[in-house]
Amino acid sequence: MYNFSGFDFLPQHLGLGNAQHLYNFEASFIRLIDKVTNGSRIEINQTGTTLYYQPGLLYGGSLEHDCSPSRGIGYYLESLLCLAPFMKHPLKIVLRGVTNDQVDPSVDVLKATALPLLKKFGIDGESLEIKINRRGMPPKGGGEILFSCPVRKVLQPVQFTDPGKIKRIRGTAYSVRVSPQMANRMVESARGILNKFLPDIYIYTDHMKGANSGKSPGFGMCLTAETINGTILSAELASNPQGQGAAVLPEELGQNCAKLLLEEVYRGGCVDSTNQSLALLLMTLGQRDVSKVLLGPLSPYTIEFLRHLRSFFQIMFKIETKTAEEEHMGGEKVLMTCVGIGFCNLSKTIR
Amino acid sequence: MEEKEKKKHRAKHSGPKAEKKRKRYLNDLGIGDEENARKRNPKAFTVQSAVRMARTFHRTQDLKTKKHHIPVVDRTPLEPPPVVVVVVGPPKVGKSTVIKCLIKNFTRQKLVEIRGPVTIVSGKKRRLTIIECGCDINTMIDLAKVADLVLMLIDASFGFEMETFEFLNICQVHGFPKIMGVLTHLDTFKNNKQLKKTKKKLKHRFWTEVYPGAKLFYLSGMVHGEYQKQEIHNLGRFISVMKFRPLTWQTSHPYVLADRMEELTNPEDVRINPKCDRKISLYGYLRGAHLKNKSQIHMPGVGDFTVSDVSFLPDPCALPEQQKKRSLNEKEKLVYAPLSGVGGIVYDKDAVYIDLGGSHAHEKEEEEVRPNQELVQSLISTHSAIDVKMASSKVSLFMDSTPLGSEDVGQEFVMPKEERQVDLKTGRVRRKAIFEDDEKENDDVASDEEDDQEEEDEEEAESEDGGDGDDENDAEEESERVLLQEGMAVRRAKRLKTEVAQEEAVNELPAFADSDDDLEMSSEEEGETAPEDSEMEEEEEGDVQRTCEDESSGSEFEAANERAESKQCDMDSECTETKPQISEHSPKRKAVLTTDSGNCTAEEASESEDENSSLEEGDDEVGSQEELEAEESNRNGFQRSKAKKADSVRHTKVKTVDTEDDDVENLLREEEEYEEKIDLSADTTGALKWKEDLTQKAAEAFLRQQRSTPNLRKLVYGTAVEDEDQESEDADDELGGLFRVSRPDEASKQKANALDCSKFLVENPQDWDLEEVMSSIRDCFVTGKWEDDKDAAKLLEEDEELYGDFEDLETGVVHKGKAAAGGEQSGSEEEEEEDEKMSKPEPEEEEKKKERMDKKRKLKEMFDTEYDEGDATYFDDLKEEMHKQAQLNRAEFEDQDDETRVQYEGFRPGMYVRIEIENVPCEFVLNFDPHYPIILGGLGNSEGNVGYVQLRLKKHRWYKKILKTRDPLILSLGWRRFQTIPMFYIEDHNGRHRLLKYTPQHMHCGAAFWGPITPQGTGFLAVQSVSGTTPDFRIAATGVVLDLDKSITIVKKLKLTGFPFKIFKNTCFIKGMFNSQLEVAKFEGAAIRSVSGIRGQIKKALRAPVGAFRATFEDKLLMSDIVFVRTWYPVSIPMFYNPVTSLLKPAGEKDSWSGMKTTGQLRYERGIKLKQNKDSLYKPIVREKRHFNKLHIPKALQKALPFKNKPKNLEKKGKTPKDQWRPAVIREPHEKKISALLSALSTVNNYKIKKAKVKHREQLKEYLKVKQKEDEQKFKRQKEAKKKVYRILGQREKKRQKSSLKGSSKGEKSM
Repeated sequence: MYNFSGFDFLPQHLGLGNAQHLYNFEASFIRLIDKVTNGSRIEINQTGTTLYYQPGLLYGGSLEHDCSPSRGIGYYLESLLCLAPFMKHPLKIVLRGVTNDQVDPSVDVLKATALPLLKKFGIDGESLEIKINRRGMPPKGGGEILFSCPVRKVLQPVQFTDPGKIKRIRGTAYSVRVSPQMANRMVESARGILNKFLPDIYIYTDHMKGANSGKSPGFGMCLTAETINGTILSAELASNPQGQGAAVLPEELGQNCAKLLLEEVYRGGCVDSTNQSLALLLMTLGQRDVSKVLLGPLSPYTIEFLRHLRSFFQIMFKIETKTAEEEHMGGEKVLMTCVGIGFCNLSKTIR
Repeated sequence: MEEKEKKKHRAKHSGPKAEKKRKRYLNDLGIGDEENARKRNPKAFTVQSAVRMARTFHRTQDLKTKKHHIPVVDRTPLEPPPVVVVVVGPPKVGKSTVIKCLIKNFTRQKLVEIRGPVTIVSGKKRRLTIIECGCDINTMIDLAKVADLVLMLIDASFGFEMETFEFLNICQVHGFPKIMGVLTHLDTFKNNKQLKKTKKKLKHRFWTEVYPGAKLFYLSGMVHGEYQKQEIHNLGRFISVMKFRPLTWQTSHPYVLADRMEELTNPEDVRINPKCDRKISLYGYLRGAHLKNKSQIHMPGVGDFTVSDVSFLPDPCALPEQQKKRSLNEKEKLVYAPLSGVGGIVYDKDAVYIDLGGSHAHEKEEEEVRPNQELVQSLISTHSAIDVKMASSKVSLFMDSTPLGSEDVGQEFVMPKEERQVDLKTGRVRRKAIFEDDEKENDDVASDEEDDQEEEDEEEAESEDGGDGDDENDAEEESERVLLQEGMAVRRAKRLKTEVAQEEAVNELPAFADSDDDLEMSSEEEGETAPEDSEMEEEEEGDVQRTCEDESSGSEFEAANERAESKQCDMDSECTETKPQISEHSPKRKAVLTTDSGNCTAEEASESEDENSSLEEGDDEVGSQEELEAEESNRNGFQRSKAKKADSVRHTKVKTVDTEDDDVENLLREEEEYEEKIDLSADTTGALKWKEDLTQKAAEAFLRQQRSTPNLRKLVYGTAVEDEDQESEDADDELGGLFRVSRPDEASKQKANALDCSKFLVENPQDWDLEEVMSSIRDCFVTGKWEDDKDAAKLLEEDEELYGDFEDLETGVVHKGKAAAGGEQSGSEEEEEEDEKMSKPEPEEEEKKKERMDKKRKLKEMFDTEYDEGDATYFDDLKEEMHKQAQLNRAEFEDQDDETRVQYEGFRPGMYVRIEIENVPCEFVLNFDPHYPIILGGLGNSEGNVGYVQLRLKKHRWYKKILKTRDPLILSLGWRRFQTIPMFYIEDHNGRHRLLKYTPQHMHCGAAFWGPITPQGTGFLAVQSVSGTTPDFRIAATGVVLDLDKSITIVKKLKLTGFPFKIFKNTCFIKGMFNSQLEVAKFEGAAIRSVSGIRGQIKKALRAPVGAFRATFEDKLLMSDIVFVRTWYPVSIPMFYNPVTSLLKPAGEKDSWSGMKTTGQLRYERGIKLKQNKDSLYKPIVREKRHFNKLHIPKALQKALPFKNKPKNLEKKGKTPKDQWRPAVIREPHEKKISALLSALSTVNNYKIKKAKVKHREQLKEYLKVKQKEDEQKFKRQKEAKKKVYRILGQREKKRQKSSLKGSSKGEKSM
């Protein structure tokens, strides 16, 4: 099933999806959506093949949700990131489940990339944060994060066409229920590769113990490259879940992760490849002004997303490919331009 | 000797000397110039009072900031829509006269009857849409929402009327448009003084309502039934220079004030069911925001609809072109008012009509008045492009329709008179003639008449018609090209030629004029080929093909891959064809180029441009090839018909088609053949297979092309565009009625099993160990190479050059910058450069120039930042930001053609659009009255939904009654007018929303109702009824939307009462409050209270009487007390939302809409008297006087009491009898004298004694003072003496001690 991640839940549309099966993570997702909205109608037929969803108003507030461990929290968090600025009350939600896995963008990455992106659209303030209380690795999970986001009435248009040069690389190497040395080994190998480009590298090692370490062992790292203009690119890798696949050497993982980051740098753009769709959505939902953003190559997910944006909002993006004028600036970029639909937060109360 | 007359001394009055003298003189006087004064009297110029200074400063700042508006992004388009001028006023005040005069002023034309909006050109950059507003409150509300300027007509002889104030209030609620008052009927005043007085009075009243200083115009007398020319002229001038501030609601919503309506329903459907829902198209200028296709709109007075189709038409009342002229040319003064039957040329989506005046008898009377030259005038005055268009685009329809002509023309132009049913019938008849087969054919036919400027909306453009107009374009342009090739000289004759073509068309008409089918067919068959099969077959085939196209266009995609090679040949040939063309014409017409080469539609022109370029680069690029093919197939799907038509057009029009065209034709034919094959295959293979892994393919293609130049737009939207085409074609199919392709929802297009994840995995990672790979991103890091203008080292150098020179003032050492220091060096360099310049002067020179410019700019920036910073406030920054955004908005899509632009940003305001709407109630068409404005208001994304809306509401101070909860009320909110049932509430301190029965008199309260979701902050007004007119003020309440929700919590107070049946000390048992133990259990711990104010708490249920419980109180209750518990009961809001459908009422009754009635009204109508509960009536409270008994103390107790407390015998003494009275003493005169003397003496004595006493007291005081002094001295003395003594004593003691110590020391020593 393709879940219209997020945007159909914006309260104007009637999403009608065709599902072949309803996995439990999707059920969990629907439950989550039910929690954050008020008055939405969700009907799933007996066999779980069709879903009828009539959106309600986004309500927000202080919530808790147990995510299904078959997908990472990132899966849920991504859509919450789209919805959170348009709630009635500021969202403050505790999500429990798998914080880092190999499929979904991890919480670390979203924390490092998505939040600065939201800030660009005028969604900032003290309460915009993702806090990782516990880490949980697949298959059993046991992680816990706190996500809070303020509420905005309208979004600012962005002109975000100059990514700038990368000035620093940061990252987190985490290990839970394995030797703390793993993290250091990963850091060491990653630095080995990245130091050829930049001296300003600092990778935190994050070893969680006891209750904070979740229920399954594992390790991994995520790297972020920050440019002078505030663009943040990221890459991440996680070890194979316990009992699935061969064991991974931390050095190898570190190296691969660093290479992934380089790949991401090669792709470039002002927005991380993970957050392309988020950026495009927020542009679409902006005021009736022109927004521009420079992206790396569009991911298939983003392309699909663009089609949805068209079908739901009648928004078409002007897509221009830009070749890097200079030699050593990585691959081609895509300049996306659109006029916002003039969306305003209908849930927010005025006094 | 004669005395020579001496010259008199002449003092100098000017010049330096005189100046000096004057100065000296003034200085002597002590009044020098200002500076001196400042010097002389510095105190006068200092701060007198810091507090006052601070206050004045504060005040000036306040005033300054008060002037600020929150800056908004200026989103007005470059070519703004006409300004909506609403002329409003009570009846018989002269509204229509003013409009007529204004129109005459601007256009030199006289309109006799004004129906609907009239658009006129008022200046080089300004157009006006003038509309009259009647006194129907529905109209007033609707027009207030779209007005930019309100001309408020006031009958000065009468004064203000309620309508004026009502309209003002409506305006205030829905954003305040500019308001200009116009006083009429001033000629009725005979007395000049009276006139002046009235003017002043009215003006001031008007100012209080609008704003102080609002413009009020005076129209004095009438001349021949018109206002004075000069006054109207001035009024017009005022209107055409007026500036408007954007209103929030208007700028955030698209809207159209329709000036033309047309019915498009299939006449057959109407015949079968005359009450069937209609399909209509409405025309008008788009205003406000961008309109997107398929968006939700609301027609006030009709209801909500979804736009089924939008297209933009050439401006019927275009602004005069930018010419260097001071004023408008007479010819350019245009007027457009199709509802009033004015406008000359009417542009339709697919046809142009010329109004020939009356072909109907009832139009004759108008014709006398209407200037005949109008048509000619408008014909002449239109742009040349329109000329061309007219010529090429078949006035022929006109001619062709000579047999049907009268009806034809009648239908189109009589439209305004649609309220007459006869006309409507004729309309129906005519429709039959054209719509015989189906809509599409009509389109096709009509499209032949289309203009080359005329463009379709996006969908149409993408589907069949993208070609209709544009292929024609092609044809024309091709013809042009041909001409070009043959010789530029011929080009001028083009107009002539087109005319010829037109004639030819006329000539050809007999060939296919007998039925539209024939026409269609002839166009459907390739060019010259004669009809082969029977009509029916052809028709069906056409249908089949069309339906199949939907499916096939996809399958073609696959098939295209398979047949890539064969296609490639075609391509190649095409390319070879295109190339020479390109080389020939590329500088002039790019568009032509693209359309020609790919033979694609103009809509895709931009895309195909890219493609062509890629094609030119080489066909070996597989990806692009594939794409192209895909596109090709897409295009083919709907191109055939166009191509055919184009061909036919070509053959009819362009006789001099050269070989190129033939080639294209051949190609087309080939394609078609090939397509037909595919059609078959598509039918068999099933329509949807191709879609299944579309995204997969797309992704693959994408990944493959990551490094090449992919046309991303196509990749992303290509399929979507196609989908839309299919949708539109589907609709057509439905009309055809034969085939209906049921395509699954778009959602199902998604891959079923794909993992839904936003991560973009790297498919083929590059080897980052390799040096060259690494170097590919080297410059992405700060450590890499920077651009010249950002490189720190370079910048530093430049700075050095600029600011290197400085002089150390302390040491006097002059530091020289590098560049200056190495002056000779640079000089030598310059020389060298100059030498170089000799060899290649231009580039060097330019470079230098650039450098210099850069330097200058930098310096300027520095200067600016240094000196402007003081003034730059947050407000200025914000304004600057907004300005930048506005510029960006304007610039972004500037260079795109309208078709693509429309796709990106929607239809922009200022365009003349045609909006198709389906499922309109038939009453709207049947009861159409052009006097009532038709507004299409665009709705935001979720504004079509209904939910609970909370408002802040205040009863209007002029409304006579208060409003009752649960009484139906008509609200005007957003675009809508609707009836709903509001519940009023007030928010308590703890945030509880407590239900109110009535609105407060002079206070805001909350209101909640179930109705359309409207953004927060939108104003609204409420009226109790919209029917009829009442002498009283009609606006009941105004307010603003606060909150929207899906659930609402309004509570009302509910008191449960009970009675004590057993009372202990502070505990008592209470019954009658609840009905069961369970209920009691629910309320355990709740606070209760007795009426007398004793507070308590519910403890526990009792077993004995059901529902009784034990409660404790802070004091003992009485049996007579009533106990109650206060609870809050949630109230549900009735889900009643009833749009006011006033436009559906029959003509003449449109102002008599009535919805749900209030209970009060019903009772009144039916004569039902309300039975009142006697207990709830108020009666005068009669309080009996209380009588207290005497205090009675028992005798035994009395005895025991002490005397003090014993009740005394307080019986009053009786009156003393007369005999016991003592006799009065009467003195003798002598005795009297004695007593008087005695009393006088005693008085004297008393006085003496008193005096003596006073004296004595004073003496005593003095004595005491003296004594005190003496005592003090004595004390002092004694003290001193004591001190002396003590000192002596102390010394003595010391001595003694010393001696004793000595002694002891001695003793010690001795020891």
